[in-house]
Amino acid sequence: MIVSINWLRQFVEINLAPRELAHRLTMAGLEVEGVSDRYAWLDSVKAARVLSVAPHPAGENLTICTLDMGSGQPCTVVCGAPNVRQGMLSALALPGTVLPGGRTVAQSAIRGVESFGMLCSAAELGTGPDKSGIVELEKGAPGEKIAHLLNLADTVFEIGVTPNRPDCLSFLGVAREAAAVCGTRLVRPQIILPKGEGTIEEITSVAIEAPEHCPRYVARVIRNITVGPSPFWLQDHLLSVGLRPINNIVDVTNFVMMETGQPLHAFDFDLLEEGRIVVRTAQEGEKFTTLDGKEKILSSSNLMICDGKKPVALAGVMGGENSEINPNTKTVLIESACFSPMSIRKTAKSLGYHTDASHRFERGVDPTGCSAAAARAAQLMLEVAGGVLVEGEIDANPVPWEPKEVCLSVKRANAVLGTDLSCGQMQGLLASVELETKTLDSDTLSVTPPGFRVDISIPEDLVEEIARLFGYDNIPVTAPKLPMEVPPPRPAMSFRKKLRNIMVNLGFFEAVNYSFVAADTPARLGLSEDDPRQATLAVANPLSEDQAVMRTSLLPGLLAATGRNVNLQNRSVRLFELGKVFFARANEPLPSEQFMLAAILSGERNPLSWHEKAAPCDFYDIKGAAQALFEALKIKAVDFVRPAPGQADTLLPGHCAAMICQNKLLGILGQIRPEVCTNFDLKQRAFLLEMDVEALRAVTPDTVAFSPPPRYPFVLRDITLVLDKAVPSAEILEKVRQMKHPWVESVWVFDVYEGKPIEKGKKSLSFRITYRADDKTLTDGEVNTLHDNIGKTLLNAFDATLP
Amino acid sequence: MDIDKLKSDASGQIGAAKDLDELNQAAVKWLGRKGALSEFMRRIPELEPDLRREAGQKLNALKKELEALLEEARERISGSAQARDEGLDISLPGRPVAAGSIHPINQVMEEICDIFVQMGFDVVEGPEVELDWYNFEALNFPPDHPARDMQDTFFISGDVVLRTHTSSLQIRTMENTPPPVKVIAPGKVYRCDSDVTHTPMFHQVEGLLVGDGISFADLKGALTLFVQKMYGPNTPIRLRPSFFPFTEPSAEVDIGCVICRGSGCRVCSGTGWLEVLGSGMVHPNVFKNVGYDSSLITGFAFGLGVERIAMLKYGVDDLRRFFENDLRFLSQF
Repeated sequence: MIVSINWLRQFVEINLAPRELAHRLTMAGLEVEGVSDRYAWLDSVKAARVLSVAPHPAGENLTICTLDMGSGQPCTVVCGAPNVRQGMLSALALPGTVLPGGRTVAQSAIRGVESFGMLCSAAELGTGPDKSGIVELEKGAPGEKIAHLLNLADTVFEIGVTPNRPDCLSFLGVAREAAAVCGTRLVRPQIILPKGEGTIEEITSVAIEAPEHCPRYVARVIRNITVGPSPFWLQDHLLSVGLRPINNIVDVTNFVMMETGQPLHAFDFDLLEEGRIVVRTAQEGEKFTTLDGKEKILSSSNLMICDGKKPVALAGVMGGENSEINPNTKTVLIESACFSPMSIRKTAKSLGYHTDASHRFERGVDPTGCSAAAARAAQLMLEVAGGVLVEGEIDANPVPWEPKEVCLSVKRANAVLGTDLSCGQMQGLLASVELETKTLDSDTLSVTPPGFRVDISIPEDLVEEIARLFGYDNIPVTAPKLPMEVPPPRPAMSFRKKLRNIMVNLGFFEAVNYSFVAADTPARLGLSEDDPRQATLAVANPLSEDQAVMRTSLLPGLLAATGRNVNLQNRSVRLFELGKVFFARANEPLPSEQFMLAAILSGERNPLSWHEKAAPCDFYDIKGAAQALFEALKIKAVDFVRPAPGQADTLLPGHCAAMICQNKLLGILGQIRPEVCTNFDLKQRAFLLEMDVEALRAVTPDTVAFSPPPRYPFVLRDITLVLDKAVPSAEILEKVRQMKHPWVESVWVFDVYEGKPIEKGKKSLSFRITYRADDKTLTDGEVNTLHDNIGKTLLNAFDATLP
Repeated sequence: MDIDKLKSDASGQIGAAKDLDELNQAAVKWLGRKGALSEFMRRIPELEPDLRREAGQKLNALKKELEALLEEARERISGSAQARDEGLDISLPGRPVAAGSIHPINQVMEEICDIFVQMGFDVVEGPEVELDWYNFEALNFPPDHPARDMQDTFFISGDVVLRTHTSSLQIRTMENTPPPVKVIAPGKVYRCDSDVTHTPMFHQVEGLLVGDGISFADLKGALTLFVQKMYGPNTPIRLRPSFFPFTEPSAEVDIGCVICRGSGCRVCSGTGWLEVLGSGMVHPNVFKNVGYDSSLITGFAFGLGVERIAMLKYGVDDLRRFFENDLRFLSQF
């Protein structure tokens, strides 16, 4: 809502500076989002004395004028005005001035003569209607600001009116609030209508066939009007709040809407067939062209204003092309109605309109204000368009407004606010915005909200009024009095926090990606048709194709982020994300939401440095990260196995693993298939780790049981086997463990070798075994015997040889 | 035979030796086979018999003493030599140890939650794809009400939406818990809007406190405490009347601009204030929708945008940077 302070002053005495008024209104709930100078463009328009006038060599009634603009340095402008003459004081717009018509004054040559700015007419400056010649100032000195000399000053507020306060979508509503913060009184405009001719009932009628959508419809008729441009004052008022003048009749409807908040419509009465109004819902599929030239197909939920035969307006939204005011209009029918907010909103939304009228009707207009607004419009139309009023009004009011009393307990209001206001204080605050109160008993106030306050229906609405008018700043600051309690543990949340910290400690940066992805993402990930991640949930109104469905995997976001980073020359990428994926479910309105953890590695494991050469990361880097994660979580015995078919379609076969613990699949890891990388614009190898957070949590021990460190020293022995290349090293370790010898504490691989002199198809694996007894120090002899036995068993079991 | 002079001369020269050469010369001169001490030893028989024993003891003691001094000097000299000759170039960089970081949004969200948890709030979570009932209707947003325009909504279907706020957790929590309730709900939310100041996904922390006798003054108290913990003890806070369907009275909460401290700057558009929170007293219709008796209890709710706070905290100029995941951005936090 744009508000001109000058216009506002017509209804209320304002005893505050504009900035202070803006602040007070904001603190009372009318947020002033912008404060601007109405005449900002006049800042660079100065008084200038014409020192001399000479004809322009190019003729065409142009003159070359020398001006004194108060700077001591005369300047030259080219002027085409007939009234320019030596000695006159006029208005010079300096170069850079943007005139109300949108034209920017430039310093330029006009037909070969340099012109420093432009001498302007009042119409060009937007200060008056006169366009016959340049402004002639009666007083003032060269160099003075024109706004000052013409006494033009106005401030414009841009107010963010909340949806519950449609009353403040009008000057009278804002003036009521301004009166409250200024401590002054609201003064309504006087409406005096001349005695009309004939009676309105003789010439027209209003039939409301859909009273649930239209509780009230007021109509007035004026004959013999003359359609034409509005007088300057009316145009100026509309321009001050950003409305475009159309013609005197339409301008009056807009003016009254701004003044009262009641949207009006004016019909050309002679274009209404049978000269009457019918309010009904549209027929399904009926076509209608609104006055912006758009044809719409209507549905039975759209409320229409019709004449005796056809629709003539989309009720509360926009008039029709077939009945709009035109230069030949002689008789006008003024509509001032009350429509159901929900009905108007549905129609406006479904047909794609948002107009000043629909904006107000959706929020609710004063059901008691129709008649006054119609009369006010009639008064102004007679003033600016002439004509003869038809006596009386039609007031079709099938659903009369009933005032509803709201009772407020003073005690309760104080309890909710934490204040200690007296009954009288509360009454005073409410009265300041025209909410009259009655005292029912010492604790109970009764308020019957006037029609313009459609937002007040329960006691809390009055508590809010009291609070905002008393001032939120004046309400004390206290601490809530509640029993002391320690919130219960939230293990799932704590676990995710822990996971994040572990990933950070492993050198990964946390990414946050949008939860929506492109619809073809599962295909781009290389997932098979029957993969559960194909069950995406589509967003009905996505902002773009890239955000069309909810993600079923964290991978697409991470892959795209990695690709972006590589393109930005961040070639070594370590990213992780912990977030939800969404799976559509049959027969369930809501999808299943599952927390996943995914990490991606790409580029170099370590940059080139003086310690070591740069090396690309590989499968064992991502596996190492997984193992470190398990170690940090104290998860033991995770098996890394070849994924089952369909488990890891995104990963390169032979270079990926499924992680299994306690017979549950925790997730997968490995190299991402190169074509999948390409699909996400990533041009280098990348390695993925993806885990189901809840599966991981299920195998994470809650506590750690301490076992004392061993008391006796260990003995190390190594063994190297040459065996078939296909044998996984883990099988050999497992074989050693299966022997379950109490002295074998641990066994691990410390070297893998293929190539000369090892035979082709074979590899050499070196293991180190730690021997330790828990009751004595082992002797060399004891260890040697056991180590030999283990060696023999392995040689036999794996058909291996010693190197 | 002046043993005392011998002692002082020898120990003086050993102590003054600056390098191994000088030290070796001193050792030969005083302790060598042909050195001064040996010379004294040889001359013992020349002494009176009753003095010989004492002189022998003295010279033996002196020998041990000088040997110890010699050893000490040798360590001193070789130590400093090692330092110079075998020292490291400590200016070379150390072996890199990878260190990542938590996303700034999650860092800030954690910080916010920690403050409220310290104030005794429980943390709750809920679905991001939500029923219209929880996201709107139970929160007193009637169908076809203009208040719904305040939040551009992503729809899955007619009555399933991407939650536009974590206020849905108010309903889900109260539905399952009798009062008093004291929870915060952090999480992702979605709105159909994208420009420099809007991303289609962002993060919120919603708070709800319901109990017997909870007042608007308490709301001011709780938020003041939070703001002062988050932004420092001298940060002013101001509440302005506003409108949210699920609270009444409702308030926008401003804090004194953390950039200019109130004098007016670009970030606060010259007002000295920054809007950081929405809040208010829980609307009776909300209580009705969860089966609470609003004549017995009252409560307040508040919601804050995490990105907004993170932008202010770190001076991030463009909201979209949070979701680009550029490592040059992420590694700064």
